[in-house]
Amino acid sequence: MRQNWIEWVALLLSGVLVLSVVGFLVVDGLRDEGHPPEPVVVLRPDEAYATDHGWILPATVSNSGDTAAEALVLRATVTVDGAEEESELTVDYLPAGTEVEVSFGFSGQPDGEVSVQIVGFRLP
Amino acid sequence: MEQSARELLRAVGGGLLVGLPLLFTMEMWWHSFLLPSWKIVLLLVVSFIVVIGYSAVSGFRRERSWGELIIDSVETMGIAMAVSALAMLLLGRIGPEVGLRDAIGKVALETIPVAFGVALAGSQLASPDDDDDSGSTAGDRAGVSPYGRLFVAAGAALLFALNVAPTEEPMLLGVEADWWLLLLVMAASMVMTFAIVFYADFRGGRSLDHGDGPLERPVPETIAAYAISLLVSLLLLWAFGRTDGVALPVILGQVIMLGLVASFGAAAGRLLVGGQQTAGGT
Repeated sequence: MRQNWIEWVALLLSGVLVLSVVGFLVVDGLRDEGHPPEPVVVLRPDEAYATDHGWILPATVSNSGDTAAEALVLRATVTVDGAEEESELTVDYLPAGTEVEVSFGFSGQPDGEVSVQIVGFRLP
Repeated sequence: MEQSARELLRAVGGGLLVGLPLLFTMEMWWHSFLLPSWKIVLLLVVSFIVVIGYSAVSGFRRERSWGELIIDSVETMGIAMAVSALAMLLLGRIGPEVGLRDAIGKVALETIPVAFGVALAGSQLASPDDDDDSGSTAGDRAGVSPYGRLFVAAGAALLFALNVAPTEEPMLLGVEADWWLLLLVMAASMVMTFAIVFYADFRGGRSLDHGDGPLERPVPETIAAYAISLLVSLLLLWAFGRTDGVALPVILGQVIMLGLVASFGAAAGRLLVGGQQTAGGT
């Protein structure tokens, strides 16, 4: 049926690949306890920069739950020159275990702390 | 050796020909994390069964045992998985920032359409002078039973509908359609597929005065193939989470709208395996 090494190698690799993917998914499915989405926002103030139209503050959003979050809305609140200011953004899809890069924008460099709040999200 | 390399390349080419539209579909990437793992595994199992059935029914001249058939089908899935992984890497859908579960889910889902293409490449797309399995001549398919033909119809319906099912469109169509429009769509699906298979003189089409068994008469076969198309549509809509918490009339609307696509796939599948009497000359 299989005359030479190409066919054997293809068969062997195929078997290993299929088994590992299916195995991974089965194990993941059994381990999954259905924890709800848990977005975690890590601000990166070191990488913040000024533009002509405001101050840009990059952040990394990840999800430590088991379930993806859809249409996640985040709001960052800061004080710029004594006045309180908000920046809001939407992450379309935040899968479990995946990192998404975002940036908040403000009118100028914030004084002091930046507080981030989850406004809401949709479940898949 | 050269023969094997050609076969492998043909498999990759066929997989990409069929799989490319879905490799470029956003909803397929998203469903990797929107769907639970068990559902992805279930979809892989269903497509594996279709691949086995397809290889069994379609024209391989050489006799093969069940063991060989299953081994070949595992190979089909494996090649498809490798192709889909490479494609996801090349398209930048998989990278260091993507979680492992997400990445594997993407590869697994994209494997399904690619595997159908690889299976097709193994038989229907083989050139006639490929000695090993010159499948595409009509004589090879003489023994296709009505059930085998309906199985191929189901597989082809799945392949066609799969291209549309993950997208938003069936949902939208199902929500907006009035009942009389749905009835018209049902009628159109059956009339058109009837005409394609039995009247329009496509290659592999059959004439009206054909067949003795209950499922070989044109009208019952058309209805059976349509019913299968609706079931395939329902399965796909359920698999992609389009039925969760959705009212029955909307589900029905989606099934009928997607069923239009599926039924054309079923018709194409029946053309592919052709008529029962082709061996004796039509």
